Amino acid sequence: MTQNEMNQKTSGPVKQHMGLRASRMLSNSAIYVLLIAISIIWLIPFVCIVLQSFRVESTWQVGYVIPQQWGLDNYRNLFNTDFPRWYVNTFISALATAVLQTIIVLCMSYTLSRFRFKMRKPLMRFMLILGMFPGMLTMIILYRVLKDLGLTQQNSVPGLILVYVASSGMGYYVSKGFFDTIPKSLDEAARVDGATRFQVLKKIILPLSKPIVIYTILTAFMAPWGDFVFARYIAFGSSAGSNVAVGLYNWLNKDQIAKYYTTFCAGGVMVAIPVTVLFMCLQKYYVEGVTGGAVKG
Amino acid sequence: MASVKLTDVKKVYDNKVTAVHDFNLEIADKEFVVFVGPSGCGKSTTLRMIAGLEDISGGTVEIDGVVVNDLQPKDRDIAMVFQNYALYPHMTVYDNIAFSLRLKKMPEDEVYERVTNAAEILGITEYLTRKPRALSGGQRQRVAIGRAMVRNSKVFLMDEPLSNLDAKLRNQMRAEIILLRQKLNTTFVYVTHDQTEAMTLGDRIVIMRDGIIEQVGTPTEVFEMPHNLFVAEFIGAPKMNLMETKLVKEGDKYFVTPFGAKIEVNGAKAEELKGVKAESQEIILGVRPEHIVLANEPGEHAIPCKLEVNEMMGSELHLHVYTEDETRLIVRIPTINLTMEERKELVYGKQLYITFEGKVMHFFKKDGLNLIYG
Repeated sequence: MTQNEMNQKTSGPVKQHMGLRASRMLSNSAIYVLLIAISIIWLIPFVCIVLQSFRVESTWQVGYVIPQQWGLDNYRNLFNTDFPRWYVNTFISALATAVLQTIIVLCMSYTLSRFRFKMRKPLMRFMLILGMFPGMLTMIILYRVLKDLGLTQQNSVPGLILVYVASSGMGYYVSKGFFDTIPKSLDEAARVDGATRFQVLKKIILPLSKPIVIYTILTAFMAPWGDFVFARYIAFGSSAGSNVAVGLYNWLNKDQIAKYYTTFCAGGVMVAIPVTVLFMCLQKYYVEGVTGGAVKG
Repeated sequence: MASVKLTDVKKVYDNKVTAVHDFNLEIADKEFVVFVGPSGCGKSTTLRMIAGLEDISGGTVEIDGVVVNDLQPKDRDIAMVFQNYALYPHMTVYDNIAFSLRLKKMPEDEVYERVTNAAEILGITEYLTRKPRALSGGQRQRVAIGRAMVRNSKVFLMDEPLSNLDAKLRNQMRAEIILLRQKLNTTFVYVTHDQTEAMTLGDRIVIMRDGIIEQVGTPTEVFEMPHNLFVAEFIGAPKMNLMETKLVKEGDKYFVTPFGAKIEVNGAKAEELKGVKAESQEIILGVRPEHIVLANEPGEHAIPCKLEVNEMMGSELHLHVYTEDETRLIVRIPTINLTMEERKELVYGKQLYITFEGKVMHFFKKDGLNLIYG
């Protein structure tokens, strides 16, 4: 075969290959441009809040974004308000919820994944249906119960923890899905090796489910961290019993906004910091956890 | 080391399906017993009931004279090897093997000694620091065996441990299990669907079908004296040829008349027929493929048939032939007995004559039971 013939023979596929590469590059570029545009739109409010939090020339809302004078006054101001108290309230309720909810969800998921008992399926169906009702429906009765227990207003933190943790057993779906993908023979091998059910969970299942454990902790932490509706309702006007979302919102009242707008922005940044840090550290596991349960073990 | 006794053991699932019917078996101390049978015959379920991984619906399981029905697996002092190895993926090989010992809170230097000792026996010392995913199938199975070995438990249970390995590795591991058995010298219960594994490994074989024991016996017994058609067909590869024919008694001689041929029963089989006072009757005649030979020409002893498929297996040929009434038979011929010319002639449609000796036949009644042993 001459060089010419060879060229003729190979030029077809090569051309096609080049075409394929070019079209892939083109579609990739289009996707990236779109994603960048969406990211910018997404980020604008955050950037505005961060910039406003460093604005010291005035405390009210202004028609420009970039501060004329920069400083940390707004952050310092936070400490002259109830903000530290709200922060601690939120942190305690989020942390306690994260710990308790994670334990409950993981135990629930393990039980539903591994044990076969009567009414297991009806129970799961019941919880699925129950989960379809909006949680707000329970607000009035919850308030009544918590008030009788003395867990409202300035004592709202334990009350809130109770509310957040009470329904946590119903959030078992994702982790049960993940546990289902871990072969049962691992449990059996461990049980034959001398492990109790609890040891199986602790030494075999949980280490293999790291992404889902982290996902559970993160979601359990974030819901109370950002909660507004229940927190406002149960704190019922008490500043000492408010969390950050409720407290900061009160600064946006007509009569307060002019004095507190930039402090509000600084508070918003402070609220975002722990969640952002947590996310950046754990995002690898988080993504694995969200997508992992469904398809892989 | 211990004996295992199963008395009227039954397994009924929630959906009322009975997986095991009244299973009775005594396994002696240090015996190697193999449960074999087709998929769904209840062999794994029975093993799992011994392990404590399945509830027992009826009857009792005793290990070393103690009824263990209500004991958790961890309290039964058993070791088990699973079909899919069931290694803990997040632990190194060392930690996998040491897992059970650490649960017992054994001192770490003793753990080290036992693990390294087991690893040495199994030839996996160099992999001790690796995770299971970095091992091949054969190595993983060795780790699984190592994990069971270090426990020095009373009974060693194996649930199809070689099924996930390729054919070559399976043969190698089979030989290693035989060696391991000699080293460990404990009671083994082994489950497989592969009759070759059953025959080569077991002191005794338990052949099961639909949750019922069809026959219990040594490999020789089940091969040479199958109690019924199922056992006869299940044990031996390729499976036994079956022909509907007549057993004819003439004086004190017995003949069979498959496909118009007339072959005298002789040797021990004739004596056994006399022993059970067999009369002339319709029977199903069983002859193993390796006991059929090619006859050179038609004759009273020869069955005419045509060649359908010729499988070259290396040292032997498997000839699939069909008789005039379309009955399919398989004939195993050692290649060494044929010249190259003769082999070339064995093509589709070739007229052949086959025969077999009177001492290698199996006689089954119409209901499937062996006329002599059933």
